[in-house]
Amino acid sequence: MDLIDNLALGFSTALTFANIAYAFAGVLIGTLIGVLPGIGPIATLAMLLPMTYALEPTSALIMLAGIYYGAQYGGSTTAILVNLPGESSSVVTCIDGYQMARRGRAGAALATAALGSFFAGTVGTLILAALALPMVELAFKFGPAEYFSLMALGLIGAVVLASGSLVKAIAMIVLGLLLGLVGTDVNSGVARFNFDVPELADGIGFVAVAMGVFGFAEIIANLEHKGQRQVFTDKVGKLLPTMAEFKEAVPAVLRGTALGSVLGVLPGGGALLAAFAAYTVEKKVTRNPKIPFGQGNIRGVAAPESANNAGAQTSFIPMLTLGIPPNAVMALMVGAMTIHNIQPGPQVMTSNPSLFWGLIASMWIGNLMLVVLNLPLIGIWVQLLKVPYRLLYPAILVFCCIGVYSINNNSFDVLMTAAFGVLGYLFYKLRCEPAPLILGFILGPMMEENLRRAMLLSRGDPTVFFTRPLSLTLLLMAAALIFIVALPQISRTREEAFHEVD
Amino acid sequence: MQIRDAKDFWSGIMFAAFGVFFVVFARQYDMGTAARMGPAFFPTMLGGLLLLLGAVIAIRGLTAQTKDGRVDRFHFKPLTFVLGAVVAFGLLLRPGGLLVSLAALVMISSYGSDEFRLRDVLLLTAFLGVLVMIVFIYGLGMTVPVMPVFLRD
Repeated sequence: MDLIDNLALGFSTALTFANIAYAFAGVLIGTLIGVLPGIGPIATLAMLLPMTYALEPTSALIMLAGIYYGAQYGGSTTAILVNLPGESSSVVTCIDGYQMARRGRAGAALATAALGSFFAGTVGTLILAALALPMVELAFKFGPAEYFSLMALGLIGAVVLASGSLVKAIAMIVLGLLLGLVGTDVNSGVARFNFDVPELADGIGFVAVAMGVFGFAEIIANLEHKGQRQVFTDKVGKLLPTMAEFKEAVPAVLRGTALGSVLGVLPGGGALLAAFAAYTVEKKVTRNPKIPFGQGNIRGVAAPESANNAGAQTSFIPMLTLGIPPNAVMALMVGAMTIHNIQPGPQVMTSNPSLFWGLIASMWIGNLMLVVLNLPLIGIWVQLLKVPYRLLYPAILVFCCIGVYSINNNSFDVLMTAAFGVLGYLFYKLRCEPAPLILGFILGPMMEENLRRAMLLSRGDPTVFFTRPLSLTLLLMAAALIFIVALPQISRTREEAFHEVD
Repeated sequence: MQIRDAKDFWSGIMFAAFGVFFVVFARQYDMGTAARMGPAFFPTMLGGLLLLLGAVIAIRGLTAQTKDGRVDRFHFKPLTFVLGAVVAFGLLLRPGGLLVSLAALVMISSYGSDEFRLRDVLLLTAFLGVLVMIVFIYGLGMTVPVMPVFLRD
């Protein structure tokens, strides 16, 4: 069977000593940074991206995938132990996880999160491997019009998920698209918006934007509210869940995995939506819970954690097969691939099969390492949470700055990062969520390219987007999404859902 | 006229300003035609859209009914010291070398915290200096000047 052959190829790539080492290093460093409160996977990835530049592409992507899983799991650890979500997708885990920690069941919560995530990750990887081929075949039917419409759908999907104002999120996307256009125009060779700065001719560095807007702005915001951090170090308790807890957790993990796998594929979906949805479903499904939700019910940890990991996994599908990132994390992965001169898209699988399947195999290995690594090392992560922030953040800054510099060996990039730090802080103060901006930034040049090609092929007739059935379907889906979210009823529930976790 | 939701109002103004910026600066490039778009086409389109969105957001900021519309106070101290430290690092790296710029980065940025302790910061600087030398210079073989200009041979 093809699937088996492909996975075999993948594992033979991923299981070389060097690649295992990179996956291991990625998971370890990812967790290390992800555990720090207030630093989510996007910021972690942005900070650690430069570290992988020196590696060959396959190893670099394997390490990045490891960093992503590590960061995500690190975030859950912080959520459970400190009640500080490192990222939006572990916000839900906070609710019941922290309460479990207060009851002295932190160990069980952490173990459930790890094991649930591992199971979900395994299922997600299998789905990814199975869907990859048909998706790539579909992708080859796509013309420029379809790609343009698909990107529009992806961007709209991302907006629906951004908390807060819809119009603001759309504006952030448009701003991102525009920032992405800075630099030399591929068709005419004109350097746009570069103001005669030679460094800007290649466009604004993607790492500078991500690190400034996410990393630096977050550090400054963290310094504002000096946290009263309460770590339940002494009461991590036994790691293994009791039999009763186990029985409760298993169905929750299964439901979470199923939900997460489906939602992850959707444009704009991924970990965040999956975690929210899974928690809501658990609340609805469970009648007469022994421990009410919100007071330390193990299902409230098991379901969202499985869902966000499954979603994290399947959100690789559109990125790897179509080259279209469904969320900000995948946008970062696309950025990383481009830096290694790999144009993401359906051709990656055919032209670079060992990279493609190696990455998929290494995802599973990364998930396995998470369990192996995190459960025994929980003590260390807890110690890390005790290091005062005033010592941590200068260290983080040092690694960020050296990282940014090393991309092009250019100090200009460092200064750009600082500029985007200011912008990021402004966004933070004005409550403009930055994730859509990153997505737009990555998609900007791609969208323009496909728009131009589609219009050229149709000889300037814009109806081409509506007359090609695939393209029309995608646009209708986008319109439906906007319509649904704009309905007063839904928008109220949506606001409440985001409010509940504030 | 009274600003009801200042966060929305000022975000709207910000977006509109960005929109105008891109539209205006796109004018020096060629628009082209719908079939053969020039470099100005897409930016102008998006810039106009952003201006429109910004206007909508700003107007909503004037009319919205909200309780917590005020923009939180800007904390200029962490902003200045953290980003100032980054800028200092960028400017010092070539002439001053890695160790000098690292020391500047750590010390200036530490000053942005309210709990600045000189002894800890000095220890941290030394620790990070050694760590960075081991990891980036010897480990990853990064090519960056380590010493200041006048100490290089």
